[in-house]
Amino acid sequence: MSKLQIITKGIIKNNPTFVLVLGMCPTLGVTSSAINGMGMGVATMAVLIMSNIVISLIKNLIPDKVRIPAFIVVIASFVTIIEMLMQAYVPSLYASLGVFIPLIVVNCIILGRAEAFASKNGVVDSALDGIGIGLGFTLSLTAIGMVREALGSGSIFGLSFADSGMPLLFILAPGGFLVLGYLMVLFNKVAKR
Amino acid sequence: MKSSLKNMVVVLFAITAIAALLVALVNDMTKDAIAASQLAAKNAAKFSVVGTTPEEATIARDTTRTIGDFDITVSIVVRAEDNSLIGYAVEAPSITKNGYADRITLMVGFVKEGNDVIVSSVEVLSQKETPGLGANMMNEGNSLERSVVGKVAAELIFAVTKEGGSFDALTGSTISSRAYANAVETAYAGYLWATGALDTSEEAIEEAMEDAPTGASMTNDWEPEAQEGDMSNE
Repeated sequence: MSKLQIITKGIIKNNPTFVLVLGMCPTLGVTSSAINGMGMGVATMAVLIMSNIVISLIKNLIPDKVRIPAFIVVIASFVTIIEMLMQAYVPSLYASLGVFIPLIVVNCIILGRAEAFASKNGVVDSALDGIGIGLGFTLSLTAIGMVREALGSGSIFGLSFADSGMPLLFILAPGGFLVLGYLMVLFNKVAKR
Repeated sequence: MKSSLKNMVVVLFAITAIAALLVALVNDMTKDAIAASQLAAKNAAKFSVVGTTPEEATIARDTTRTIGDFDITVSIVVRAEDNSLIGYAVEAPSITKNGYADRITLMVGFVKEGNDVIVSSVEVLSQKETPGLGANMMNEGNSLERSVVGKVAAELIFAVTKEGGSFDALTGSTISSRAYANAVETAYAGYLWATGALDTSEEAIEEAMEDAPTGASMTNDWEPEAQEGDMSNE
């Protein structure tokens, strides 16, 4: 498998949201606007790349039966450290992405890729897989966020095109499920061609 | 690697020990910087709500009033060169009205224009409202901000418009908007108290807030509002 293929696979064939259906909690929770979806995606991608690299480096040191708790400890401490560093030294970035960071600990995409990819592949491939899956997640969340924001509050990336009368449902949880479902159908229909 | 009891215990112990050590080290390294940056953000808000900057102005005095579990902090902001008054920055929570998820805390600036006290600006210091709905109170130029900034404080009616107030509620976020209006009202009460326009005894402040010229009842909302199952009414 070529290096480029690892990345494109994460975006289309193994798209974490629409194909693997991983990380649904943050997906439904934060996609009420396009910018929130994108923020969550970018923060997840950063953690995913780093955790894939670390896991692929230490994979040979970990006994098989305790690999899952070992991965979880590595990921959780990693996320906590990133959160503290961000809050201390880049408060402006923390102000916009900070709310998403604790959610990443419980994001099963990270654990899923550690288990399915990083624990079986080398460092470079694992990092590329992190980039691909991260991009796939970011694009999917941004797409869901754009649709929900456009239908629910009449704006895209905060640029308003309709002031009132938009169905509020799309900002609330049921709208999240609806949009996710329809986009999933659409994505799989197009991607299977 | 094949698992044996010995290597499982050793490896898990080593990983958790290293992780705990790293987290503790980073925590130690960053906690001062985090506290400093939070304080800096709050301090910056004190200046920006009255339309100035830390370079041009200083805080003459911070006074904090505690009512029940809540703190209202009034900062007097003066020009750096001649100590003349610019305005008052008041940090206040929503006291009688909760937001959808938690109380919200605002920094509200008050400046004098002639004989009137004007709300110069409002900044949201903390809120946990729903992203895309109540959290829109953080956005610049949202309807709540627009309905108070530049207005004469004494003429404001601290309730949302559909309840006869002056606050144009955020779409679909009536509860968050009520909390916002309440926090501005608390800030104004804090301002009146700090400037001596109000009897300073605790009973008098509470009484004054109850009889606030809004006619809006401030005492009957202590029970949590019906929030669950009423999604359209946030």
